[in-house]
Amino acid sequence: MVKEFETNFWKDAKSRKVWDDIVPGEPRKAVPYLLTLEAIHRYCRAVGEDHPLYFDEAYARTTRYGGLIAPPSIHILLMFACTPADDWMRSPGTVNAGQSWSYNIPARPGDTITLQARALDKFIKKERLFVIHDNVFLNQHGDVICSGRGWTIRPE
Amino acid sequence: MITTFETLAPGQSIEGPKFAVSRETIKAFCDASLDYNPLHLDDDYMKGSFGKTSFGGIIMHGMNNFGLITRMLTDWAYAANGALRRLETRWLVPVKPGDTIQPFGKIKAKRETAKSRWVAVDVAVSNQRGETVATGEALVEFPRDRPA
Repeated sequence: MVKEFETNFWKDAKSRKVWDDIVPGEPRKAVPYLLTLEAIHRYCRAVGEDHPLYFDEAYARTTRYGGLIAPPSIHILLMFACTPADDWMRSPGTVNAGQSWSYNIPARPGDTITLQARALDKFIKKERLFVIHDNVFLNQHGDVICSGRGWTIRPE
Repeated sequence: MITTFETLAPGQSIEGPKFAVSRETIKAFCDASLDYNPLHLDDDYMKGSFGKTSFGGIIMHGMNNFGLITRMLTDWAYAANGALRRLETRWLVPVKPGDTIQPFGKIKAKRETAKSRWVAVDVAVSNQRGETVATGEALVEFPRDRPA
């Protein structure tokens, strides 16, 4: 899946909504994503996560989780994995001002993750263009994995 | 001493490992998160200004802080049969290659509800100059009836 991912965020820049176009309440397009153990481990290595719940299947089976899980913060990957190339979160210069996330159940390797997302609000503060966005990630059973709210400063 | 809900008290602190930030760690985070925003990759782009902000060079993803705080909290919570239920963060100072950052936490409050037990934790990330680069708060659940 990573091979198909467009890493040049300039390439589709013209097709993305600018601040003026973003309509609070309007759903964002999303794409299902198969979360692999490889992707979980790549994320873990990037932030130094080494807990056996993420790496040691035999250990994980003995815990209340019953098997390997992903760290709660895996939504950092899911945000980009579950959105298409023209999603405005990929606009170059988008600055993350803060986020809050609530965690329900863990994501697991092999899960097919879907995203329900929309802008909740937009405003101008200290001459900056802000958008508040709401995101809910679900697994293939329709169970909520986590939900979050983010504040970004838009480049245009 | 094994940490349990009963032994926790406001004021107790938690410490995560230090994290040395480099161009390589930032690129690894790009590949791990699929966030290839040029803020994290393109020095020429970052020489420009962003409204009222000028960074002068590439910066680490704010969500890398979030990942380090999460790691600190989950390593601490799992050991006591707890689970991270909420994390809110704000970014205060950009983090750049060459910085070394470290997450910290301090227990703020405990609360029992009808069905569970909760601990609120203030969290922060500091750099090598002692500046606070991120702050936030977390909620960790310590269920009454869940075995290890």
